[in-house]
Amino acid sequence: MANIFESPEIIGAFICEVEEQLQLLEINISKLKRNDETTETLQELFRAAHTLKGCSASMGFERMEILTREMENVLDRLCNGLLEISKPLVDILFECLDYLKMLKQDFVSNTNSIKTEITPVITKLKEIMTTKAIIEQRNQPIFVLDEKQQELINRALSMDQNVLVCEVEILEDSPMKSTRAYLIMNFFNECGMVISMIPNVLELPIGDDIGNVVFLISTQMSADVLEKKALNELMDVSKVKVFSYFDKSYQCKTDIKEDGLKDKDLLDKNNKSSEKTVEDEKQVLHTVKIDADRLERMRELVGELVIEQIRIAQISSNLYNQYPFDESIDDLVGISNRVSVLINELQDGIMKTRMIPLKQLFCQIPEMVGGLSHLLNKEINLVLEGEEIEIDRTIMEEMSDLLLYLIQNAIDHGIEKPEIRKKLGKPEKGTLRITALPEESNVIITVEDDGAGIDIQEIKMSAIKNQIVTQQEADNMTEQQLINLIFCMDFFTSKKVDTASDREFGMDIVRANIEKMNGIIDVETCVGTGTKFIIKLPIKLPLTLSTLKGLLIKINDEIYALPMSNVVEIVRKPKNEIESVNGQAVAVIRDKTVPLVWLHDYFGIPRGKERENTLIVLLGIAEKRFGLVVDELIGNQEIVVTNLGSYIGKVEGISGATILGNRSVACILDVLGLLDMVNSKRI
Amino acid sequence: MNEVLTDQYVTYELADEKYALKISDVYEIIKMQNITRIPNSNPYLEGVINLRGKIIPVANLHRKFGLPNYTFTKKTRIVVVNSRNEMIGIVVDKVNQVIRFSNIQPPPEKVAGIDGSYFEGIGLTDEGVVSILKIDKVLYE
Repeated sequence: MANIFESPEIIGAFICEVEEQLQLLEINISKLKRNDETTETLQELFRAAHTLKGCSASMGFERMEILTREMENVLDRLCNGLLEISKPLVDILFECLDYLKMLKQDFVSNTNSIKTEITPVITKLKEIMTTKAIIEQRNQPIFVLDEKQQELINRALSMDQNVLVCEVEILEDSPMKSTRAYLIMNFFNECGMVISMIPNVLELPIGDDIGNVVFLISTQMSADVLEKKALNELMDVSKVKVFSYFDKSYQCKTDIKEDGLKDKDLLDKNNKSSEKTVEDEKQVLHTVKIDADRLERMRELVGELVIEQIRIAQISSNLYNQYPFDESIDDLVGISNRVSVLINELQDGIMKTRMIPLKQLFCQIPEMVGGLSHLLNKEINLVLEGEEIEIDRTIMEEMSDLLLYLIQNAIDHGIEKPEIRKKLGKPEKGTLRITALPEESNVIITVEDDGAGIDIQEIKMSAIKNQIVTQQEADNMTEQQLINLIFCMDFFTSKKVDTASDREFGMDIVRANIEKMNGIIDVETCVGTGTKFIIKLPIKLPLTLSTLKGLLIKINDEIYALPMSNVVEIVRKPKNEIESVNGQAVAVIRDKTVPLVWLHDYFGIPRGKERENTLIVLLGIAEKRFGLVVDELIGNQEIVVTNLGSYIGKVEGISGATILGNRSVACILDVLGLLDMVNSKRI
Repeated sequence: MNEVLTDQYVTYELADEKYALKISDVYEIIKMQNITRIPNSNPYLEGVINLRGKIIPVANLHRKFGLPNYTFTKKTRIVVVNSRNEMIGIVVDKVNQVIRFSNIQPPPEKVAGIDGSYFEGIGLTDEGVVSILKIDKVLYE
C-alpha cells in the first residue's frame, strides 16, 4: 500500500467519495426500512455499493472491497426481484453500513492498520443470499430502469401518454432474427418511443438466435390499438402481446406494497418520492464531479475575460483623462470598475474549484514522523499549524514531496538522539514544527527543528569536494551564500546515514521544484539550535499565463515591468551603505548581504548620475536574491503579458511585453533569466 | 514573368535607395511612432510597437543592409508586412507610390553592395530602377 502515500490527493478524493456513497447508502436503506422504496432506491443502493467496491479496490483497501462486493450481490438480487425486502435484510444492510463506517474510520486514522473485522457481517450477507426465500423467477423479464429511463416514463405520463409493455415472439423459422428484432424496434419507435428492451436489440450479435423480445415503450396509442397494428404490420412474428407497464401482473416491486396502483397514483407517488429525495439530498455533502476539461475551459475563458477587462479599464481611464467632464465617460468608468469587481469574484470562484485544504497533505505527516522517529530512535514532538489553508491542487502535488523530504531531513539530520540532547541540556524530546501561514496571494510554509543545525564548514567542505565551488570561491563567500550551497548538491544524503530515505530526492531538486513554482525558499540555521526552512509559494496558479501583477520601474528612461511575485522588498539605501566586495557592489538588506545589479550595464543604457539614495528592488526566486537598482518606481498594476512572437524569439532576461495605459509598450523582465544573464556575463 | 508584371508594388526609400514590396505582402503603412527597445535582442530589431492593441516587432533594414541609419522626419513611416504569419514593421524613410513595373529583371549578384539573393528582381520604371525585396528572406536570414 506504499504507493497510496504518494498522493494525499487521491486519499482525500477517496475518503470524500466514500463519505458521499455512505450517505447515499444510509438514506436509501432508511427508505427501505420505511417501506418507502422505489426501483430507484434499490438501484441507487446497488450503484453506491458498486462504486464503493470499485474505488476501494483501486485503493487496495481489501476489506472494504470484499464487504461491498457481498453487498452488491445481495442488492443485485433485490433489484432483479430475486430477493424480497424484509426486516432482517434491512437490518443486515444497516449493519453493513456501520461496518463500512468503521472501516472508513480505520482508514482515515491509519491506512496501514485496518482493525475492523468484517467476517461476521459477510457471513450474514452470505446467509441471506442462500437461505432467504428466493422469489420464484417470473416468466416475464423485468425492466431495470435507470434514472434517465424513469424520467422518460414520468415525462410520458405527464403528457398523458401510455407506457406499454410489448412482448413480441419472433417466428421460429425467421431468418436473421436479430435483424428482425431490430426492425421491430424501429416499428415501435415509429409508434412511440422505445424506453427499454430486453434483450437489448442494439447489442445483439448478428445472427443471434432470439425468440422473444420485450419492449417498454411510451406512446399515444392504447394497448389494444398498438397490439392490432403490430400484428397487422410486423412480419415474421408469431405473437404480440401489449399491456400497460403498470398492469398489476407485471409490477414486480409494487406487489409488495399497496395493491391496485393506477397510473395516476404511481405518478403522484413518483412525484412525492422525488420531492423527498430533494429533501434528503440536503444532508448529503454537496460535491459535484465535473469533467476537469470543462473546468479548465471555464478557467481559460475567465482568463480571457480578465485580459479584456484590463484593456477596457485602461481605455476608459484614458478617455477619462481626455474628457474629464463627460458624464457618459464617468458612467463608463463606473461600469468598468463594477465589472472588474465582478470578474475578480468570478476569477476567485473559478480558482477555488482547484483548491484543497493543506490538511490533505498535513494528515500524512504524523504517520511519517512517527514511523521515522521510531526507526531512528528519536523522540519528537510534532507541531502542525495552518492545515485549514487551501491551496491549488497542482501546487500541493508539487510541494508534497519536497515538504516530506525536508521533514525527513529534519528528523534524520536535524534532531539529535535523546541521549545527546540530554547531554546538551536540551529537552529530550525534539520539536519539529511545520506551519503554514497565508500572506496575500502566497502561503508561507516553514519547517523548523530545534536540532543540531547545519555546520557551515561542513557545507563548505562538501561543496568543494563535490566541485560545486573552488576553495578560493568558497573562502570569498558570505555565510548565507555558503548555506545556500546546500541547494546546489545532494547535501543531506551525501552523508549517507542509514535511514529510511529511499526517495530519489535532494536539496537540488527541492530548489528546482520551488523555482518551477516561482516560489522562494530561505534557510536559517544555527549550529546547536536548529534549522528553519521558509518556503513561500503562490496559493493559486496564475489564472492565465498571460496576466500578472507587475511592478513598473524605470531604468534610465525606459519602463520595464517586474513580476510582483518575485519582488521581496523595495528599499532605499544611502550612497555610503553600498559597498564593494571583490568588485561586486552589495548592500545589506535585513541583515543579509545581497549583490546589486545595474541592468543599465547589461542593456547598454547609461547609468545616469549618481544620487544620494539608491532605489533597490530586492528580487528573489527559490533561494536566490539580488537587488535590482532602478531609477524610478512607477507603481504596480495588473498587466497582460504578450509573447514577443517568433520573429523576435527568446530574449535573455525578458519574458514578454505589455501595453501600458499610455499605449506605449514595456518589456517584462524575467527574474530567473536576469540572474542567468548576470551570472554568465561579466561586463 | 508576365504574371509578375500584373502585380502591384509599394515603393519606398531607405537612405535614398528605392525599394519595393509586393502589395500583397504589405498589411498597412503607419506613421512613425515610439518604438520600445528590446535589450539584447537581434541587432536588426528596432524594437516593438503597439499596433491597435497588438504588440508587433519593428525591424531596421538600414542596419541590415549597412546603410546609414534613418533619421526621424515627417516622412518616416513604418511599413507593416505579413511575413511567416506574423506582422512585422519595417522603418522606411519615405513611402513613394503603388506602381506596376513594365519590366522586371533578375537581380545581379550584388545590388548596391547588398547580397542579390535578398531580391526578387530589379523593376524598371520611367524614373529608374527599383529593387524588389524578398521580404521573408530579408527578415529571417
